[in-house]
Amino acid sequence: MALLKVENVSKKFGGVCAVDGFSMEVDKGEVVGIIGPNGAGKTTIFNLISKVYETECGRIWLDGVDISDYTQEQAARSGIGRTFQNIRLFNSLNVSDNVKVSCDYKPRYTLIEAILSLPRAIRGKRETHEEAMACLRAVGLEKYADEKPSNLPYGMQRRLEIARALALKPKVLMLDEPAAGLNPEECAELVRFLKDITQKFELALVIIEHHMDVVMNLCNRIYVLDFGKNIAVGTPEEIQNNPKVLAAYLGEEDD
Amino acid sequence: MFLFYLQQLINGVSRGAVYALIAVGFALIFSVLKFSNFAHGGLISVAAYAGYYFSTKFNFPPVLAILCTALIGGIMGIILNFIAFYNLQRKNSPNIFYFVSSITCGILFMNILTLLFGTTFYAIKPFFKNNIIRLGNLIILKMDIMILALTFGILAALMLLINKTKMGLALRLVAIDKETAMLMGVNSSVVIAVTFSIAGALAGISGILLGANFTIDPFLGNMVVKGFIASVIGGLGSLPGAIIGAIMLGVMEVVFTVLVGDILSPAVIFVMALVFLLIRPQGISGHFVTEKA
Amino acid sequence: MNDYIASLIQTTCISMIGVVSIFPLTGMTGLFSFGQAAYMAVGAYVSGLLAVKLGMPFWICLLLGVLSCGILAIIIGFPTLKLRKDYFSLMSLCLGEAVTAVLNKFGTVTGGAAGLSNIPKKSTMPMIIISAIATVVLVALFKNSRFGRMSLAIKADELAAKSFGINVFAHKMKVYIFTSMIAGYAGVLYAFYLTYLDPNLFGWTRSSEWVIFLFFGGVNSLTGSVLSTIILTVLPEVLRFASSARIVMYTVLILLVINFKPNGLMGEKELRIPIRRLLKSGPNGGEADGVAQGGKR
Repeated sequence: MALLKVENVSKKFGGVCAVDGFSMEVDKGEVVGIIGPNGAGKTTIFNLISKVYETECGRIWLDGVDISDYTQEQAARSGIGRTFQNIRLFNSLNVSDNVKVSCDYKPRYTLIEAILSLPRAIRGKRETHEEAMACLRAVGLEKYADEKPSNLPYGMQRRLEIARALALKPKVLMLDEPAAGLNPEECAELVRFLKDITQKFELALVIIEHHMDVVMNLCNRIYVLDFGKNIAVGTPEEIQNNPKVLAAYLGEEDD
Repeated sequence: MFLFYLQQLINGVSRGAVYALIAVGFALIFSVLKFSNFAHGGLISVAAYAGYYFSTKFNFPPVLAILCTALIGGIMGIILNFIAFYNLQRKNSPNIFYFVSSITCGILFMNILTLLFGTTFYAIKPFFKNNIIRLGNLIILKMDIMILALTFGILAALMLLINKTKMGLALRLVAIDKETAMLMGVNSSVVIAVTFSIAGALAGISGILLGANFTIDPFLGNMVVKGFIASVIGGLGSLPGAIIGAIMLGVMEVVFTVLVGDILSPAVIFVMALVFLLIRPQGISGHFVTEKA
Repeated sequence: MNDYIASLIQTTCISMIGVVSIFPLTGMTGLFSFGQAAYMAVGAYVSGLLAVKLGMPFWICLLLGVLSCGILAIIIGFPTLKLRKDYFSLMSLCLGEAVTAVLNKFGTVTGGAAGLSNIPKKSTMPMIIISAIATVVLVALFKNSRFGRMSLAIKADELAAKSFGINVFAHKMKVYIFTSMIAGYAGVLYAFYLTYLDPNLFGWTRSSEWVIFLFFGGVNSLTGSVLSTIILTVLPEVLRFASSARIVMYTVLILLVINFKPNGLMGEKELRIPIRRLLKSGPNGGEADGVAQGGKR
């Protein structure tokens, strides 16, 4: 079975069907893209996989385990890491603490050990610190460890979000519009970077993106969404030449 | 026996009517501004004393006294907005600050009243010479009928205002999304001031009626907690819900006073409210807002 | 030492334990509880009653007083922490009133409104002062640990916190139990210092006072809480204000702070005591110590 398998999930808001019977498979080392016009339901799919929404219909498997009934935190601990379309960093924490949060759920030391500053707590804090710095180095932000996220430029904030997700040691990393607001050079750099970490951290990478150059250069496979339905799946070449995809993005052409 | 229970029901409903006035004022602020305004209690206390002056010291007829107190309440509401919340709105502070600021103001008002008037009890001259109506063995107070009539009348007027007027539309828009409303040309400062003046007027009326029903002391405004509970039962932010919740609360209180006595009543209400919130957290007519990522 | 000054120091220290106890709950996790004084009441009455009615030794009274708070916190926290924040605050307010009501009602046991007297005076001044310092240290270590960080994350963005593996409800429970037991401890100290208890000592005004002190000092600053407790307890004494005037002063100060410096006196700044460097133990530098404080030191 693929590392991440999504089978026939749907999500309704009142009478509106945001996602209708979506299925997807992603393997370790693969990069999969989800594209589609605005409002097509892409972020909703991320919310379904990361269990922000409950799975009302369909099922989701991670590494062979059915995670459909997991809570958000259980999904995160099992290995689903994500970033958010509107950056959701912890603004009251500094950069390194934002990343350390991902390590905090692990019971490295108990509350009693913390307030008495016992050796296990000191060791645990050091481990967390080292792991966090490693993730910051991976995205090139280690110099800004003590800064507040709101002081960083937009592109760096996005990188920080990625570092935070990496610190979770995820099996699947889901990035919601990682290239938003980047210029073409930065986009190319992002593509190199993402290919690199997918290999280095042995991830299955899923990205939602509007920058077609990023999508086409990065992804092994692409799912196209329109009005909540998957209208096409394929390699970048197949998708680029698919008339249904063109119609969805550009609308019907009058001849 | 049946008559006894009917009498208790009537008592409960009339107590609930008093709570309903408070609850509606509270619910209004919550629905437009999205926070629980504990300063409402302070306004109620202030209004009670103002009501005392108008009705007993200056000898105004009841209707006039109520109107004047409502006016004072409205003005106090705007003052409250200015000293407690205006700067927070300008700085776009998180909700927490509004809550704390409101509690602080409530405490401030009540303690200023203590300094001015001491802890001697004042009493408002009764509105009706002959307060009691007898229906067979049942006792209904004219005061309670007036309170009920006023409460429903005010609610009807408010619903009209909110649903049928331009200002009401502006209120609803700000309640849904302040920023977008401003982009659409709504002057949110005016809307907020209007909201506070209406809520203040409601507090004013609550204050004088509460003062007429109970004795006046600076901490009369602590009744606002009942308004909060009523709002919560009815669904935070829902105006009709607040009234229903208030009446239910009034009836429950009377029932528990009969069952376990006055002193233990708060403890029982606490447990009941807790149970209620666990079973139906959105209240009777409220809805959930699910957060999207 | 002057009796008056001694009593001032002791009441300030006990207040400080209370204010510092709500720092992790309210300041760090954002759970506004207007009923923490109820736990002070429980700690005080349980330990006081054990001493007066059963003649138990002080340390047992202390232990059981604090433990009973922990147990109550589990019972109360379990349903209320699942509620929305507004509702939690409301229920905490009601909790305070409910506890006072119960204490009044069961007057035959608790002494009711007439109060519980003849508690032996076991809280000495050194004990109280050391307790206050110890509490500040414990809470500082809490803040600088993963628990403090999780609290801040939850306060900043609960949904995001869940997305990174944090079991928000479990964490809130831990913080609630921890802080309630500290408040209970303050109650025990208070009971054995005052030697007399009265249900109305622990109402929502005391709880609100703690929250107000917290805000005044800066909701994100432990140092601020400590300083503001000292300032706001000592100042009215020095100026000889009567109770209501004192409260008016507090509230005006808070309003000024909220309006003009909403982050409180200390904002986010903390006093950093380089204990590690002083003791020459543990890892080098400050970075490895867990939660750092904002941008500039």
